[in-house]
Amino acid sequence: MLPWLSIILATLAVGTVATFAAGARARWVALATSAIFLAEVGLLLASYPGWPGYSGSLVPGFSDTETYSWISIAWMHVDYAVGVDGISLVFILLTAVLQIATVVYSWGESQRPGAYFGLVTLTCLGCFGVFVSLDILLFFLFWEAVLVPMFFLIGYWGGPNRRYAALKFFVYTHVASIVMLVGLLALVFYSGATSFDFSSVYAAARGLAPVVQTFLFLALFFGFAVKFPIVPFHTWLPDAHVEAPTGGSVLLAGLLLKLGGYGLIRWAVEVLPSGLHSVQPLLFVIAFLTIIWGSVLSLAQRDLKRLVAYSSINHMGIVLLAIALDSSLGLLAAVLLMFAHGIVSALLFMASGSVHHQYGTRDIASLGGITPSAPALSTMLMAGSLASLGLPALIGFPAEFSAFLATWNGLGYWVLIPLVVLVVTAAFYLWMMQRVLFGAKKGVPADAHDLPWYESTGMGLLVALTVLFGILPSLLVNVIVNSPIKGWPGT
Amino acid sequence: MTFSSFAGPFLPELLLLAGVLLIFLLDVLHVSRLEVVGGIAVVATLLALASVIADLGFAPLALLATIPARSIDAVPAAGAAPLFAFTSLGLVFQGLFLLAAFLVALASMSRPSAERGAPIFYGLLLLATLGMLLVAIASDLIFLLLAIEVVSIASYLLVAYTRKDPRGLEAAMKFFVIGALSTVLSFFGASLLFGAYGTTNLYLLRAAGTAVSYPILVLLGYAFLFAGLAFKVTLVPFHAWAVDVYDGSPDDVSAYLAGGTKKIGIFAFFLVFLGPVLAVNAVGSSGYGLFGGSVALGPSFQLALGAIAVLTMTVGNVLALLQKEMKRMLAYSSISQAGYMLIGITIGTAPAIGGATLQVLAHVLMKTGAFLVVGAVAALGVGPLISDWRGLGQRRPLLGTAFALMLLSLAGVPLTIGFASKFVLFSAAVAAQGWFVWLAVAGLLNSALSVFYYARVLRVMFFDAPPAADPALAGAVVGGAGPPALPVGGLGWGRAVTIALIAVLIVALGVYPQVVLGPIQSAAYHFVSLGA
Repeated sequence: MLPWLSIILATLAVGTVATFAAGARARWVALATSAIFLAEVGLLLASYPGWPGYSGSLVPGFSDTETYSWISIAWMHVDYAVGVDGISLVFILLTAVLQIATVVYSWGESQRPGAYFGLVTLTCLGCFGVFVSLDILLFFLFWEAVLVPMFFLIGYWGGPNRRYAALKFFVYTHVASIVMLVGLLALVFYSGATSFDFSSVYAAARGLAPVVQTFLFLALFFGFAVKFPIVPFHTWLPDAHVEAPTGGSVLLAGLLLKLGGYGLIRWAVEVLPSGLHSVQPLLFVIAFLTIIWGSVLSLAQRDLKRLVAYSSINHMGIVLLAIALDSSLGLLAAVLLMFAHGIVSALLFMASGSVHHQYGTRDIASLGGITPSAPALSTMLMAGSLASLGLPALIGFPAEFSAFLATWNGLGYWVLIPLVVLVVTAAFYLWMMQRVLFGAKKGVPADAHDLPWYESTGMGLLVALTVLFGILPSLLVNVIVNSPIKGWPGT
Repeated sequence: MTFSSFAGPFLPELLLLAGVLLIFLLDVLHVSRLEVVGGIAVVATLLALASVIADLGFAPLALLATIPARSIDAVPAAGAAPLFAFTSLGLVFQGLFLLAAFLVALASMSRPSAERGAPIFYGLLLLATLGMLLVAIASDLIFLLLAIEVVSIASYLLVAYTRKDPRGLEAAMKFFVIGALSTVLSFFGASLLFGAYGTTNLYLLRAAGTAVSYPILVLLGYAFLFAGLAFKVTLVPFHAWAVDVYDGSPDDVSAYLAGGTKKIGIFAFFLVFLGPVLAVNAVGSSGYGLFGGSVALGPSFQLALGAIAVLTMTVGNVLALLQKEMKRMLAYSSISQAGYMLIGITIGTAPAIGGATLQVLAHVLMKTGAFLVVGAVAALGVGPLISDWRGLGQRRPLLGTAFALMLLSLAGVPLTIGFASKFVLFSAAVAAQGWFVWLAVAGLLNSALSVFYYARVLRVMFFDAPPAADPALAGAVVGGAGPPALPVGGLGWGRAVTIALIAVLIVALGVYPQVVLGPIQSAAYHFVSLGA
């Protein structure tokens, strides 16, 4: 069998280098890279050995695994180990989709296009690496590798306050990674795992005392929580989003936030079940706080992009809630939610970026009635908003429905908190649309025109996926739950 | 026939000695051309490096191996008190010293050829390196301190060799006064230990750790020795001299002081303090006093080392954060790096010693490289302030990228040697469990702190627009549109090649550290188990 994952990694690595070197023609190289990447992910999905029927267990089994020794000394064995299961496949699909959408959307980027598209490709390479790593060092390495290109994307192509935002982003997430690294190292050395491999850590961690598991879980959780982000470690996110270029925002919201959730599932929830069990109440409190606080803050925003950023925090709070439930349905809901949010927030960030390009402002109050002059843009913004507030037949609905169902199963009437919050946020989104899209014409210059072809293509792709997976969520669900469990230690 | 038949086991040392003598002899004969003198130094250090690597068991160079394998890591016979002994960890350090010397010698081939003083510079460089090689084979306290003295005297002179620069002279004066003080403290400590144990042999001291009749002498002796050596390693609070000296020295000399000679202190720490640390580890945290029970050194000794390590990292980083001049910032960051290395000694296990040694290698590459870039940039006419480096990365992308790699490595960003070394070191700390985990936390938080000032430099270099009238870029402005490519001629080939070599090594060893980590780790195991 071909080493698919290494081939994809190599594709992205070569593509990154070629894009950097291509200068003015970088967009073509980036497009080719992302198209090949998407095709390879398609093949990977097609060859994924899904089992018929729901196995009832979300304990992962990995396919397409590869393991090569990397560092091997008496007391430390680190491998280059990669592999995928249903959960990581969904995130890989998200990476491939968002990469090609971002490249197409950013087609008009004229400021140092070689570096811009190179950094976009590099970010996706890092995310892909995180999703396929089955070794702690490799995981951490890709995790950190995402940081650097995003730092440059914000710092060079960003808005007026970009330097502050770039530095804040870097420092917040880097400190968090460090705490996570201590947690991961402790996981290896306290459990007595023979190597840094996921499988050996997974097996060894079963023997850890619950109290040790709790501490390890907290250390890991802190690292992942900042990426999530959860209240009170969220303040880097609005700054980073507002200052980042649109492509940067898309990758940030669509992919980087997912790293936190993925990492939590893969390295904390699966590995340290007793740890999750004992910190569950804390996680619930944090999740509810994040849900409420994110939506309260989003109500107070006048800037379109900030609105989307804060509602992202709100959504990620629901993801945390679903993960914390520690049930199969909750985990499934969390993955679905993250996929949905990845697509939808990318769409919304693109739409608000386009609003900014066309009208020179993102201030909700100073815009109005843009639909007649820009029907395509309005359609995209509306599709994104409706999907975000959970309209049935769009992707947000199955995700949020399963999350609320899981919450009802686990916590009963506490589900009212996220539900009420959702209703309020939905109302706010509708009000925003009413003002910006349909109200009296305001802030629209006489020569206003609709989207350029590349922006509408990029967003159109995401809208299509929103509808497709909204109508057929089973396409994703089958991938997530049909994980082969044979050969898995401890099962 | 191998070289051993006429050079004995001392081929590297003799090569350097021959280089020193040849350079000074040629100087007397008025042959002082840079190409000749520098060439001798480059060849001598490279050959010596090859010989050391051969002695470490690298088969392709076996022709140059001069030490019989059985006398490496040999436990001395009972009661024997050898002055020197070959340990594989010592050989690793010899290799690191020679690597630093080779890099500096190669880079210095780009000195302005009209400048006088090349023979003095290269002669002293080789002499200092010779002393460093002797440190790495010492097994007696007096031999060790005398070898350190050889290095020190040569480096005092190196700092001031240009003779005309008042800053250099001031730096040399400070360096000398502090150095003399450090020597006095070290020898006093050694004499107290001799009073307590009746020997200055390091093996015997290590073996006698827990049986002694005058514990107070031991306490004072180790304390004085610690203070004396701490000056060399620039541990806080013995660090204040280092910044002024690195700042005032010629750039290539700063590179050698920070990247090279400082590391003798680390190995001296290994030699002197590993014994007591191991004894503490053997007793365990619930044990009694280390030395006979009446002096409560015991675990608190380790705790003190750990506290100084954390203090050194933190103070160095915080002060680096406040600096406006590039060279002073690098000097403070160099101090903080010494704190990381001390973590290894504090823990004292073989993994930790190996991690600290890898950190030494990383530091040799990163710090030597960074100071060389500073020298190269200064030679282009850019000022000493960090803000003077505005836009340099955009206008000179290759040089900027190389420097960025060094800074990222110093900050511990993955896929660089700086990350690999910290990863191994902090893994060793976590693996040792107990309160050592907090050393890893402190070290990691410190490396997060250091990201602030390294990222600031990156920001200045890559995000800020270059100053309008930058002399280094004058050619570019005249040359027309677009950022110009890197003119290698402007750097000089020696500097260009060295900087490129260092950048490549930083990444290559960062991606696949196994190449160096394997030998270092097995050397560390032998070293720790030597007299245990």
